[in-house]
Amino acid sequence: MKTELNAILPEIAVLVSACVILIADLFVPQAKRHVSFWLTQFALLATIWIVVATAQVAPVRAFSGMVVDDMLSDVLKLFALVAVSLMLFYSRAYLMARGLFRGEMFVLTLFALLGMMVMMSAGSFLTVYLGLELMSLSLYALVAMQRDSSAPSEAAMKYFVLGALASGMLLYGVSMIYGATGSVDLDRVAEATLGGQGNRTLLAFGLVFVVSGIAFKLGVVPYHMWVPDVYHGAPTAVTLLIGTAPKLAAFAFTLRVLAGALKGLEFDWQGMLVVLALLSMVLGNLVAIAQSNIKRMLAYSTIANMGFMLMGFLAADLNGYSAALFYTVAYVLTSLASFGVVLLLSREGFEADLIEDFRGLNRRSPWWAFIMLLVMFSLAGVPPTLGFYAKFAVLEAAVNQGFVWLAVVAVLTSVVGAFYYLRIVKLMYFDDPVDDSPIVARGDARALLSANGIALLVLGILPQYLMGLCTLAVTQSYF
Amino acid sequence: MLENYFPVLMFIAVGLAVGGSLLAVGRLVAPHRPDPRKNSPYECGFEAFEDARMKFDVRYYLVAILFILFDLEIAFLFPWAVVLPDIGFFGYAAMMIFLAILVVGFVYEWKKGALEWE
Amino acid sequence: MLFSTAVFYVFAAILVFAALCVITVRNPVHAALWLVLSFFTAAAIWLLLGAEFLAITLVLVYVGAVMVLFLFVIMMLDVNFEDLRRDFRSYLPVGAAVGLLVLLEMVLVIVAGTAGAGSAGSLPAGSNTQALGRLLYVDYVYPFELAAVLLLVAIVAAIALTYRRRRGAKVQDPGAQVKVRREDRVRLLEMPAEKRDG
Repeated sequence: MKTELNAILPEIAVLVSACVILIADLFVPQAKRHVSFWLTQFALLATIWIVVATAQVAPVRAFSGMVVDDMLSDVLKLFALVAVSLMLFYSRAYLMARGLFRGEMFVLTLFALLGMMVMMSAGSFLTVYLGLELMSLSLYALVAMQRDSSAPSEAAMKYFVLGALASGMLLYGVSMIYGATGSVDLDRVAEATLGGQGNRTLLAFGLVFVVSGIAFKLGVVPYHMWVPDVYHGAPTAVTLLIGTAPKLAAFAFTLRVLAGALKGLEFDWQGMLVVLALLSMVLGNLVAIAQSNIKRMLAYSTIANMGFMLMGFLAADLNGYSAALFYTVAYVLTSLASFGVVLLLSREGFEADLIEDFRGLNRRSPWWAFIMLLVMFSLAGVPPTLGFYAKFAVLEAAVNQGFVWLAVVAVLTSVVGAFYYLRIVKLMYFDDPVDDSPIVARGDARALLSANGIALLVLGILPQYLMGLCTLAVTQSYF
Repeated sequence: MLENYFPVLMFIAVGLAVGGSLLAVGRLVAPHRPDPRKNSPYECGFEAFEDARMKFDVRYYLVAILFILFDLEIAFLFPWAVVLPDIGFFGYAAMMIFLAILVVGFVYEWKKGALEWE
Repeated sequence: MLFSTAVFYVFAAILVFAALCVITVRNPVHAALWLVLSFFTAAAIWLLLGAEFLAITLVLVYVGAVMVLFLFVIMMLDVNFEDLRRDFRSYLPVGAAVGLLVLLEMVLVIVAGTAGAGSAGSLPAGSNTQALGRLLYVDYVYPFELAAVLLLVAIVAAIALTYRRRRGAKVQDPGAQVKVRREDRVRLLEMPAEKRDG
């Protein structure tokens, strides 16, 4: 019992603190709302400590195989916790200016995080699904939190309807897999599929629906329709949340289901992922050029990036999975900083979400222009930033497994992608500002955002530690 | 096990038969002389002003959804009560945690004022 | 066995008919009522399969509660459904294509043979509700607690999204009404008796 509880200790910590904050917040007057904020930050910090303290190399299975606590889940949880903590720091002023600095905001964020953590250490399709729903339900509500304007409500509605459809497809696929193998436990499904048991047709159809569900959650073409609208319509703080930590959960979902449970169908899903990756990279990068809103542009950039990540994944070996994990972490760190700068530039009544708003940023503040430069370089894959090494590792893994033509397409589309990232750099450095208002931000947000930006550079120069961690995590669980 | 439900099946069948036959008898025997005046909606002698369908206050929805959530909670209690002797303290504790989590929600909605109608 | 098979076919026919009516009737309220009938017959089919508890839950939760919410929402939306139907023809080709594709897949799956391992087939001894309970609160305790968290999130989200405190609304507070003492409401004044004028 004790080891079982140890395995879910981080989840328990997040759940208990979410409940405590939910109740405590009711007794806090609006003027002292920062009490809830700091309680949330403290809970996140404590959970980080728990994850690190209970980390162990050998995987532990608990609750009749429902939960797997291994290095992979610990690494992913760690980055998700950091991402959520940074998201709250970056968006504090933004939320205050828009009347969103409410207890429910923090509590729903924590519940979304709990859902992600459940997904990250899921050992059964049942847990994967419940974690996914917990995360999605909280995110739908967060998108709609700003009740008085119509864009967030519309975005939430689209997100909800399409998300429900994706969940339905996923469940349909899982039911087929259950029908063919007689189990929803990921390990037992893996045994059955590797042993050639079960009806192949049924499994193949189940796989199609499960991959559709995964593709929706990752937001890759042709299941990407929700991404631009939700990124654009949601309050930027929520966009930041949706664009970062859930990608880690979606990666865990993909790895546990495809590389774990459905490893016996590797050949089948590789083909599907090739199509998804190819379409996402081409469409994401081409459509991003035409955007004038930076949130929309970053949404298409997400689509392209997730496609790129899948290219590493479909190599389906240790290097491929490690590179894909590294790519996801790198993307999340970069994405945090990119939306962090957008949040920094916004103020009461002004969203700073147009590309034009970045014009002449260098004159207004050379430091933030430099941070944004690092972010754009990292997204475009310019050395020596983190994004360059991530792209390099993924390409290497794909080429080693013989997907040379796909790698060529990936490089070509990345060159196209570099155009719109570098356009922002050009606007920042070579154009005159249209708006000279000073940039005000809290000290903690400034310090953390600077550290985040610098980390993109430092980790890009010294990627071996992060890469080592990713390889270790994947090795312990899947090789 | 299915034999136990045979009375229910009979009940449904008899219910349908009685209801259906009464409607049929009414349709066959009663005088039926439609008239445009008779079929028009009657509103104190005026033509109908507007569509009968109108917007509901969103508060009804809130009450309904809170009801459903606690209804679901109760649904989980049935099988628990049936097997309580078998599952021992572990099962008892599991349900207590389940209830505690929902009590948090209940405290929240009460203190928030969502249960007050005004 | 033959009798229960006949009953199954009767309920299955009603279910298919009711489900068809849900998507073809013009009035959304009627569609919701047909959906109630489909839930009922689906519950009856589950009962035939021996899933007593699930069948009763389907009736209690879906027919009793979820459908009421559906009707609320249909009434609350105040949408003119005839307008929505006008584009039906333009969506028809795509919809029909997707429908045919799904049908084809189902046929392929069925033709290729029914479920392979089939280890989920045998019914445990004792009542179905007991079997469910023994699994749900012991082996599946983790998903069970997660279900509670999901319900909690639904409570928080529903209140955070729809609840507004109205200002200036007049509310009765029964507690305060009961607690009132005579001294709070009644003031006894000493007044000198007045003399009647002549």
